[in-house]
Amino acid sequence: MNPRKLLFSVVTAFALLATACGGNSNATTTTGNETGTLTVWLMNGSAPQSVVDGVNADFKAKHPNVTVDVQIQQWSDVTTKLDTAFAGSTPPDVVELGNTLVAKYAANTALADITSKKGSFENSGTWLQSLTDSCTYQGKLYCVPYYAGSRAIIYRTDMFAAAGVQPPTSIDDLLTVGQKLMTKYSSDPNFSALYFPGKYWYAAAPFVWDFGGDIATQSGSKWQGSINSSQSQQGLSTLNNLVSKLSRADKTGDELKQDQAFAQGHIAMIVANGWEVGVITDPKAGDPSLKDKLGAFPIPSHTPGQTAPVFLGGSDLAIAAHSQHQALAREWVGLLGGTKFQSQMVTVGGVIPNTTSLVSLSSGLPAIFAAAAKNSRFTPNSPNWANVESANVLQDMLVSIFTSKSTIPDATSAASNKITNILNS
Amino acid sequence: MGVAGDARARVTAGTNIEAGPSRHVIARTLLPYVLIAPAVVVIAGVLGYPLAMLLWLSTQHYGLRELFQHQGEFVGLANFATILGDSEFRHVVLISVVFTVVNVGVSMLIATGIALLLERLSRPVRILLSSGLVLVWATPVIPAINLWQWMFDYEFGVVNWLLTHLGAGNYIHHNWFENPLQGFTVITVIVVWGAIPFLALMLYAGLTQVPRELVEAAEIDGARPWQVFAMVTVPILRPLFLILFSLSTIWDFQVFNQVWVLLNQRPSKDYFLISVYSFQESFRVSKFGLGAAAAVVMVAILLVVTFVYVRQTVRLTTEEAV
Repeated sequence: MNPRKLLFSVVTAFALLATACGGNSNATTTTGNETGTLTVWLMNGSAPQSVVDGVNADFKAKHPNVTVDVQIQQWSDVTTKLDTAFAGSTPPDVVELGNTLVAKYAANTALADITSKKGSFENSGTWLQSLTDSCTYQGKLYCVPYYAGSRAIIYRTDMFAAAGVQPPTSIDDLLTVGQKLMTKYSSDPNFSALYFPGKYWYAAAPFVWDFGGDIATQSGSKWQGSINSSQSQQGLSTLNNLVSKLSRADKTGDELKQDQAFAQGHIAMIVANGWEVGVITDPKAGDPSLKDKLGAFPIPSHTPGQTAPVFLGGSDLAIAAHSQHQALAREWVGLLGGTKFQSQMVTVGGVIPNTTSLVSLSSGLPAIFAAAAKNSRFTPNSPNWANVESANVLQDMLVSIFTSKSTIPDATSAASNKITNILNS
Repeated sequence: MGVAGDARARVTAGTNIEAGPSRHVIARTLLPYVLIAPAVVVIAGVLGYPLAMLLWLSTQHYGLRELFQHQGEFVGLANFATILGDSEFRHVVLISVVFTVVNVGVSMLIATGIALLLERLSRPVRILLSSGLVLVWATPVIPAINLWQWMFDYEFGVVNWLLTHLGAGNYIHHNWFENPLQGFTVITVIVVWGAIPFLALMLYAGLTQVPRELVEAAEIDGARPWQVFAMVTVPILRPLFLILFSLSTIWDFQVFNQVWVLLNQRPSKDYFLISVYSFQESFRVSKFGLGAAAAVVMVAILLVVTFVYVRQTVRLTTEEAV
């Protein structure tokens, strides 16, 4: 290479480097005159439209030339869509991720590391611990907690009154109450005292945890499935007894239709998230006249007077590692995760907010769900956990147990082996 | 023109003896390739490239991280060793083969029956029946499966209601998918329902081409109807039957939508056909390399079927030529 050419390449390289840095510094400071489109993926049913509109309006006031494109995704096929989106060169800038999915995408380099920016988010000191944990992978922060949800039992107050029963205070009591309801409504062949679809794993987990069992345990870097431990089996066998006596739900079905089924009026209790009250009383999908006939109580423990630990579901807001608008994305996330709009999420959306400082805002039924969240657990925080869910390991195990295709020891040890394999692969 | 023309050209070309004819010859040999090139390019792009990518992917360790970074790791035939050594996968292959045989058999049988019926019906009834067949064929697959799903629904399905009211037993809250054998029966019903229109109409078209005089001659010789069918109709329609059998085999071996949609995109392991297994490994568990290997095995099995079909067709045409 001759000297002139060499000089030319060196100069070009520096010029490129300078432009690259320039682009970078533009992206990290928001001056208000950026242009472009910020793409946001939110999940179906997560934020009420009024909250999304409010966030966008506040954002627009600061960045009048940036268009925010909020796209609503469906839960059923979101992982496939996320895989495809992250594989492309222009992924959505902001994605809402179910809290069990974050580790998978964080471990596979799809999400931006925002550890150093944590302090810039409002309330980051009082974020819900288990949501913060779900955002943390190998000590680094990959998302901002968005909202939490926990399950409790929604029941028909009129049916309870007709059968002369009170909300139960132990699992044994739940069975007794359920059986009284079954007797009271024995003329209805479609009646379920406790409607429990066979694949409803997140409603089954509390029974496993309540007896001291767990899905898997970690020692060092190795996972070991423990759904076959004697405590886990005891919980599942208790649940199996409840389901066989109180439920006429599809033993191979999932919980996606349970709110519509509940609104049909042949069901006294379902295990549900707080937001499902809205689906049940929806004028189109459900029955608005049930509004005054709904109550809720936490899933009882086998120890009288206590409640069973529930799975803490919820969502986080993450920023794609390949997003061209890192700073803008963080700003939008900061708005939705901040005090103003989190308060609206509680009062309008009825969910549990991302910070303990706002939990006291919930009232009525949502308050019962928020209280249930205080005794909550989380799934194994492994990047491979999402594959356990995708492979339907626990769902298939429940179906085998409820349909008596396998005994509880056989079904649980098969599932436990699969979980061990998947988590360690 | 041929050789003589070339020779003349060489003579008249005079000064440019060498270049003239060779250019001519090259043009003539190249022309067919030029003409076929667009088709080859399209086929290579549409079929060849994905197939090559599939083969390449099946030799890679390719998970989510590799997908996001666009960089796989070559592992040779390890993916094939993994799935072929997996008793679960071998079971899936077995289920797929049995499923295909049953579905091809049942749909061909019913389709042949309907084709024979169409031939004997009066014109208005025939038009009614063929319109019905065409409508079934015109129904988009996914909505059709959703309709079947509603009919076989556990709580609100019309099938359970109907069977109970017809006195076939207590089918209230009967779950058709609890027992895989019953579940596969429902799936077979849907697949066969969707396959019959094409098969029946093709066979009916074939039947109208069977020479009347051959049938009459056989009847005069005292052949019974089933003998006419077995000795006259079937041999004449043999090439058509072969094509339909091969196509049905390919279609039924690839059945995916029926299982996937009917079982709410979360089929249990009992319902894994090869296609479902491959999809699950690829897009649910993000083991794209293993999923690709399963798909390659599927293509290989289909290749064998296609080979048998091509060989039979070649044999048939050469027999006819002799």
